[in-house]
Amino acid sequence: MTELRALVRKEFACLFGSPTAYLTLTMIALVTALIFFDHLRIYNQILFLYSTTTMGGFDTGAIPDHINLWDRVFFPVMETLGLTLIGTIPLITMRVFAEEHARGTDELLISTHLTPSLVVLGKFLVTFLFVALVMIVSFLYPATAIEQGGLGVEHLAAVFVGLTLHGFAIAAIGLACSAYTSSQLIAAVSGWAVAFTLWDFSWANAFVSERTARFLEAIALHPRYGSFAEGIVDLDNIFYFVGIALVAMAIARFAFDLRRVGS
Amino acid sequence: MNAQGQPGSDAGTAAGVGIEARDLTRRFGPHVALDRLSLQVPPNETFGLMGANGAGKTTFIRLVTGYLLPSEGSVTVGGFSPAANPREVKARLGYVMETSRLYPELRVQGFLRFMAGARGLSGGAVSASVDRVIEQFQLADVAKRLIGNLSKGFEQRVSLAQAFLHDPPLVIVDEPTGGLDPVQRGDVRAVLHELQGDRTVLLCTHDMDEARALTSNVAILNDGRLVAHGTTHDVLDRGDPLALFRPHGETAA
Amino acid sequence: MRQVALVGFVALASAIASYYLTNEFGWFGAANAAVALVALVVAAASGARQLGRIGGAASHRVVGRGLLIILGSVVMAVGMERAAAYSKLQFDWTFERAFELAPATVKALRELPGEATATLYREAGDPRIRRTRLLLERMAEEGNLRLRERSLAEHPEDAGRFEVGSSNTVVIVLGDRFETVGRPTEGSLYEALYRLQSAEGGQVTVLRGEGEGDLSRTDDGGYAGLSAALATEGYDLRSVVSASMDEVPVTTDVLLVVGARRPLRAQSLAAIRRYLDAGGSLVALLEPGAESGMEALLAEWGIESPEGVVIDPARDSSWASVAGLDPVAYHYWDHPIAQGLNRNRMTFFSGARSFRLRRPRPEDEVSKVVETTRFAWIETDPTALEQRSGHFERDDHPADFQPLVVCGRYPRNGRETRIVAFGDADFASNQNLRSLYNLDLLINAVHWAAENEPMITLRPKNRPTPVQFPIPLTNTLQTLYGVGLLVPELLLIVSGALWLRRRSG
Repeated sequence: MTELRALVRKEFACLFGSPTAYLTLTMIALVTALIFFDHLRIYNQILFLYSTTTMGGFDTGAIPDHINLWDRVFFPVMETLGLTLIGTIPLITMRVFAEEHARGTDELLISTHLTPSLVVLGKFLVTFLFVALVMIVSFLYPATAIEQGGLGVEHLAAVFVGLTLHGFAIAAIGLACSAYTSSQLIAAVSGWAVAFTLWDFSWANAFVSERTARFLEAIALHPRYGSFAEGIVDLDNIFYFVGIALVAMAIARFAFDLRRVGS
Repeated sequence: MNAQGQPGSDAGTAAGVGIEARDLTRRFGPHVALDRLSLQVPPNETFGLMGANGAGKTTFIRLVTGYLLPSEGSVTVGGFSPAANPREVKARLGYVMETSRLYPELRVQGFLRFMAGARGLSGGAVSASVDRVIEQFQLADVAKRLIGNLSKGFEQRVSLAQAFLHDPPLVIVDEPTGGLDPVQRGDVRAVLHELQGDRTVLLCTHDMDEARALTSNVAILNDGRLVAHGTTHDVLDRGDPLALFRPHGETAA
Repeated sequence: MRQVALVGFVALASAIASYYLTNEFGWFGAANAAVALVALVVAAASGARQLGRIGGAASHRVVGRGLLIILGSVVMAVGMERAAAYSKLQFDWTFERAFELAPATVKALRELPGEATATLYREAGDPRIRRTRLLLERMAEEGNLRLRERSLAEHPEDAGRFEVGSSNTVVIVLGDRFETVGRPTEGSLYEALYRLQSAEGGQVTVLRGEGEGDLSRTDDGGYAGLSAALATEGYDLRSVVSASMDEVPVTTDVLLVVGARRPLRAQSLAAIRRYLDAGGSLVALLEPGAESGMEALLAEWGIESPEGVVIDPARDSSWASVAGLDPVAYHYWDHPIAQGLNRNRMTFFSGARSFRLRRPRPEDEVSKVVETTRFAWIETDPTALEQRSGHFERDDHPADFQPLVVCGRYPRNGRETRIVAFGDADFASNQNLRSLYNLDLLINAVHWAAENEPMITLRPKNRPTPVQFPIPLTNTLQTLYGVGLLVPELLLIVSGALWLRRRSG
């Protein structure tokens, strides 16, 4: 535990000792805020358009049910954010293992009491904490704006939990990819590719049987993430994301074994 | 303890530990980096491991530290196998890598505190050991500076310092003066000379002057094979030692 | 090998990206998919070959252990997820608990006589589909309900067959019957299930002609909602003009009198008396200020309704014109009619009269079902109901719990007469029936009166209208500046300061 604590402190110092972390936080927070604001602006315009053309006002049932704050602003933003995270989180994770390997400092780490398992655990932990921070920062504006619109705090909490778990899963995938290379570029690209593939398998429905399609849907990120957006916190969805992190950790750890025996 | 973790012939004593390699072989695909190397590094002395670039020195070190696993054969450190008993080996081992592989975004003191923690030190022992090595390696003036902003000489001192945090009985130093100017080289050698004490130092170098100054025994690797082994004077001061470094040069000591 | 793997990953990402952008796999996507497949297979094969070349027992052990750890983690991950899915543990954090099924829905699902199929018809991009799908999945967990999704565009034949007009329509098929639900909510799906199972509730005879509630009117003051609700519960409604009624129809299971405002004819009242004497069932909704003759008839059965209107200042609705005139009740007695109702499941009365109970015969049971708080009283000032606003003082009127709904069971001639009386007829109007738990109380009263106790349940509540008001631009901008832009700005400043500090050492 002493070694793990030392590693976690070091990782945080490395992470926040460089402007990259702050720039990533800034970028994600800004992108989220702007996407959300844009959706809100368009939603307001649509509402005014309906209310003026139907001469019904806002409260007379003249506006279709699906034109509402949840369906037109909040959920599309959450969907977009789900994909945005796939694009941005691998930029955070690409350096975690790849940079150590490129520098050769992984050899220094392994010469201490830090075992590959502890190294993987420590780095995953710190990355997850950073992702949680990213979620908090990027969620502030949408949550504040929507709370004004009457979406309950519990529902917002469900969305936040879903977003964060989704972020953890993408981070885990990115970390596993980073562990197998010393090139941050390859780490990032492979992280994108794997996460993007895992996002949604609906594109395969036309080519596979119904049973296979159901299996693919069960392992895809999007359907799991989607139910949190509706305010439903399913235990099996939580364990799905935890499972991805577990498997990714095992795969990342295996990279150390391969390096030890590598030919 | 032998490679299976059972009591066996011990190459270590209470003060220093030794290294014993038997038919140690490591392949990388078709390339044989180490070919049936059998070598004993006695405890409590500074032993030189020499050879040209690509001779297999770093591979041997990586097998000793456990970073790599052997394809065949065995290696033990103080009787412990790095594969079977990694914690025992690492507790006895300090390692200074070939090029300073540090964290440029950390400050010197922070880095040393991290390394102390990574070596299992905690609480007051961390501060004590960090203060000790800062004094030993004259790093007081740069303790609060970012490693990325240090000169090469200070970086190398920091790299040396981290290896002595836990006062290990065996220190492996890989090319400590590579890339340093003459003054810096002299400083590093002086530090190494002071710290020899009653511990084992495995010094990897291809600098014969450095070997003569610091080591009592040397072994020369060429193309993964042991081509010379004996006292420093016998190996380096007789005949044509350069031939030992050339490909296919073999001389029995 | 790494370059090959990189090419493979990039091609894979490009193929999928092209699908998301165009919603189809064109030549670009197909070509990239093929390149990805080849590249990744080659890279994997090369990696496997390299793995096969490792030598040494220690190396084999390490690799074997690593692979076992990966396998173990996969097994653990799948195991945890499956165990959690089996447990069906779920937390509904929606504001209105939209995915917690009502007991009635659960009951309807569990009592499905066979496998029902629910098909959700969708168009691409319809944001409502997600929510409907979650709701259907939740329902499928409770009963023998198989789910399917179909694209409207790909199944145009279903549009005519099942009358599917738009996306987000659910068609439930049970045997050779089907129900089409155009705006699927839990309530509408429940009603569809109920209709499919064609529960036979019996016949409800409704009196009209003396100012009773009109079950065909759909405005706020009408009672069409009550009519639809009774039909959903399986009751066959028959309307009878009281003036011409000599006898209550023999096929009547429950006689329903909804707020008669004019005096019923003597012969009508006599017919009702004979019906009740013979073991009939009556559900009567009275109105304060009205004397229809039902009040006297009910008094014969131990249910007396004094003049006046109930004022409950402790628990009135916020829109009452006179404080306390529209009590919201949550005191329920232990009776099947109030099954499931509690402090959190209130009922709403809009100007109600109260009751006094006595037992006509020792073997009779007369009981309260719903009452006010103990601070209520009966206001006898006739202007109470006509005032637009104001405040009535209790004065000398005694404060006490005032029954608002009462019932009685009377063994008569080998059969059992059942009567339920409500002190407010507006309780069941279109405006109020779907308020709070009014519908449940009234329908359960009818079930009890008809001796259909197994059908007593709590029904799903319809989801409130989603927020359709714009958020004022000023508010939006303020929040954007204060949170959306300020936070990134501060982060940028911090990162800049940090970078400068690093440069200076």
